This record gives sequence, C-alpha cells and structure tokens, in this order.
Amino acid sequence: MTWPPRQRASATPRRRPLDGRGVLTLLLGGAFAWSLATVPWGPDLVHPGGERAIAQLLAAALRPELSPPFLALALEASWRTAAYAVAGMTVAVAIGLPLGVVASGALARGALSRLGAVAATRGLLALLRAIHELVWAWLFVAALGLSPLAAILALGLPYAGVLGRIYAGLLGDVPEAPLRALRASGASEWQVLLYGRLPQALPDLLSYTFYRFECAIRSAAILSFVGLGGLGYQMQLALDDLRYGELWTLLACLVALVVAVDLWSGEVRRRLVA
Amino acid sequence: MSRTSPLPRAALGRPWRPSFLVGSLGAALALLAGAWGFVLLADDARSRSALSAAALAHAAEFAGALLGAGSDAPPAFLQAERWWAAAALAYETLAMSVLAIGIAAIGALLTVTLAARNVARGLLRPSRSPLWPALFVVIRAAYIFSRAVPELVWAMLVVFVFSPGILPGALALGLHNFGILGKLCAEVVEDLDPRPARAMRASGGSSAQVLAYAVLPMVLPQFLTYLIYRWEVIIRTTIVVGFVSAGGLGRDFRLAMSFFHYTDVALLLMVYLLLVLAVDLVAGGLRRLSR
Repeated sequence: MTWPPRQRASATPRRRPLDGRGVLTLLLGGAFAWSLATVPWGPDLVHPGGERAIAQLLAAALRPELSPPFLALALEASWRTAAYAVAGMTVAVAIGLPLGVVASGALARGALSRLGAVAATRGLLALLRAIHELVWAWLFVAALGLSPLAAILALGLPYAGVLGRIYAGLLGDVPEAPLRALRASGASEWQVLLYGRLPQALPDLLSYTFYRFECAIRSAAILSFVGLGGLGYQMQLALDDLRYGELWTLLACLVALVVAVDLWSGEVRRRLVA
Repeated sequence: MSRTSPLPRAALGRPWRPSFLVGSLGAALALLAGAWGFVLLADDARSRSALSAAALAHAAEFAGALLGAGSDAPPAFLQAERWWAAAALAYETLAMSVLAIGIAAIGALLTVTLAARNVARGLLRPSRSPLWPALFVVIRAAYIFSRAVPELVWAMLVVFVFSPGILPGALALGLHNFGILGKLCAEVVEDLDPRPARAMRASGGSSAQVLAYAVLPMVLPQFLTYLIYRWEVIIRTTIVVGFVSAGGLGRDFRLAMSFFHYTDVALLLMVYLLLVLAVDLVAGGLRRLSR
C-alpha cells in the first residue's frame, strides 16, 4: 500500500513500439485475458431469482426505513463506527510513529546499526500491513472475544504498518541543511529528530494521518462484519432479514459519514500542505 | 496529533490560516476523548473483560492452536498436499484480483475524461452543449457512491445475482475501485498541461484528435502507476471479499475458522502473506517497466 506517487504528467517523445511501456501494456492485457478465462462462464453463473431480488432491493431505495427507533439505531451504529475508527487511529499512531522513526534510520549513528534497525522495523511494518484489517479482526475476535478492544487492535495494527512506512519516508525526506546545522552545533541524534526532522515533516505527517483517518472510517464499518457492532453489522442483519429499506438507510449513513470525513480531511490537508 | 504549528511555513511568510486548523484540532481532540470514553466507559463490561486473566489465557491458547498445540493430527502447514491445495486457492485469488482491477480500470477509462473539470466546462470541452457539465456531475456522483460503499458491502449485494465464485468477488472489488481509480485519474486529467491541447485546437484539431494526441499520451503513464498501486491494495482485500463471495483463499479461511481448524488457518495465512509479498515484488517490477 503505497501513498499514490504523483508525477507531473509530461509529454512523452515518440518511442519504439516495444519499449518498457509497450511490454507493460501487453502484460496487463494478457493478465486480464487470463483472469477472464478463469471464470466458469455459463448459465450457472447467475442465480435464477437474482434479478427479482435486485429489483426489490432497488425498489426499496425509494422507501428507506425512517421510523424514529430505527434512525436512533442507525445513528448509534454510525457513532460506534466512528468511535472505533478514532480509537483505532490512536493505536495506529502510537505504534506507527515510534516504528517509523526507527525505520527512517534517523536515530542510528553507525552504518551497521542503522542497517539492522531499518531492516528489522521495515520488515515488521510490512508484516503488519500485509494482513488485511478484517483478517486481523477475525483473529482478535477468536483470541479476545467480541470486545471493542478486538476492533481497535484490528484497525490499529495494519494502519500502524502503513503509517510507519509513510512516516519513515517523510522523516527521511526532510531538507538536510537544518539537520547539518543542528549537528554542527553539537546536537545529539535525538535532538536532531526533535528539533530538525519532526518540525519539518509535521505538516506532511498530519496530512497523511488525516488521509488515513478517512480510510479508517470505511474499514471500521466493515470490521463490524465479524460481529463487532456498528454500521456493517447492522447492514448484515438487515440483508439477512431481507429488510432492504433498512439497508438503504444504513448505506446513506455510511456514505454521509465517509463524505463528511472526506470533506473535513480534504480541507485540513489542503491547508496543511498548500 | 498534538501540535499544529508548522513553523517553517509560517516563517516563510506563506499565507497561513490558523482558524480552521485550530478548530479542527479542537474537534479532533473532542473526537478522541469521546471515542475513547465511549469505548472504555459505555462499553465498559466488554472491553474490561477482554483484559482479564481468563481472556488472556484464552488468547494464548488460540495462538498455540494456530501453531498446532493441543491437537494430535499433524498441523496442516507441515503437509505437502495441503500446500498444493492452498496454492490452487491462491491462483484463484490472484485471478480474482486481476479481474477486479481490469473491471475497475475499464470502467474508469471509459468515464474519466468526462469526469474532469477541464473537459466538462474548461478548455477541452467538446462543445457548448449543457450535456457535458451534466454528465460530469452524474459520473462524479457515481464515483463518490461507488467508493463510499466498502468492497464487502458490494460483495453482499453482488452475490444476490451471481453464484459464488471468482466473478462476484471481482465485481465487488471492481465496483469499489472504479470510484477510487476514477477520482484519482480524473485529477490527473485536471492537472494536465493545457498547452499541447490548446495548440491542437488552434490548428483545427477535432475533439477526438485532441483527446487521442494531446490528452491520453500525457495521462496514461500516471494512470498505470495508480492501476498498479490499487492492484497491490486489491490483492490484500481479495481474501476479505472471498469470505462473502466464496472464492479463493477467503472461502477456505472462513470455513477453517468456523470449524476451528486453526492449523489450516495458519497455513492459509502463510500462503496469503506469500501471495501479498509476491504481488508487491511484481508490482515493483511493473512500475519500473512503466517509467
């Protein structure tokens, strides 16, 4: 999961037909054709009553469930989802920041100790983020039971992996001159970190953390599929009981929550990294 | 998230608007307090019981069970034929991820030019017809909706129509990523250098010619970068969608969890990790090709 790297689009000069990009296009086309071939095409692919179910589902969009008790339930579920996201992000920052600092190699003096610390923390971060949050959630529910703690840890660990990796990159990329000035006046690596690297990287660190908070809301909503309460859990119940009207109300809550956080974080990030 | 004053920027004399950010900091702190208060106090009994001695012992027991403790049968991850079966599932999962990114990419490519502001009402507008701004709004709304609905919810809806397997999972992932890729790529089109398009327009190029020669060649490399990046994300998510759409590693993970076959769970996790790492390596190679 890399932070989408943005390059300025630039005009490409005329190329030979089969350069790297041509090979890439062929590879991608071939891979897509292969994936299409693995699907068992045939009449069995579609459920017999499927169209009717979808028609009912779509029709229910026009009459969402709006009774006051259900709205109260939906609001409670939305708040629970948001609370899990916020708490999970706290854990992610608490684990990701120290690991990110070590992984950036900022604290190590010798080349060998730096290499060891960087490799070890980068590996740990990669392991944390390789496993999807819902898989973590299932494991934590099996280990800890249906507790909010399982949701928070399941969200916090993979997000710590992502945050740590990005933090390491941001801390490593700050302009060198102020750091050299600090070192020249006798600052220790800790002081260089506190007074040189962190202040310079702070807007970017905060901006990226806010971006991940957006993602955390979505993740928290699906975490509840393993039984942890919140919007996803209520959606699953509504679908199981074929109460499509409730499903649309819950979907509207989720979209509203995501869009609200999206707008908020967009405004914050625009001001931080202008 | 405790301090907000980015000193270097203020020192450089850039326009700095603290009011919104200070308000946001306050809101963030209030959210933090509210969320932790809710989790620890309102859900009091449940979160405290998770830290009791009995619960921790149970957690340790679970970790042991993953490694095969307390069972007479040899653990699944020490049997070669189990590895082959898991590899077949990994193959299915890989196919699902490729199909998903293909669906998302085709959908995004077909709509993206119309979803860019400079095409809808700016320099690249094909004609003065009000159709283009209207299409812009419709497509952008579709992007927002499709990416706000999580993959898993898409999967639960898609399995109403399609029988379990690779296709419904790929469709669900594709629908979610369609909105993400569409938004990312539309922003690339909006950031485009307008000069070549303007030059073509001035020398009498048609809209289709401008699109083919002044827009697409400039934005495709960045599209490819995003495509590869989303593929890395999708491969991690295929297992989750598989829980619902019953395809690939996710299906067997769910079954093994339900039947308490914990060494199978451990094996599937190992194969999943290997698959994710392999995809990251391949994606790195593809990225190098695209430069």
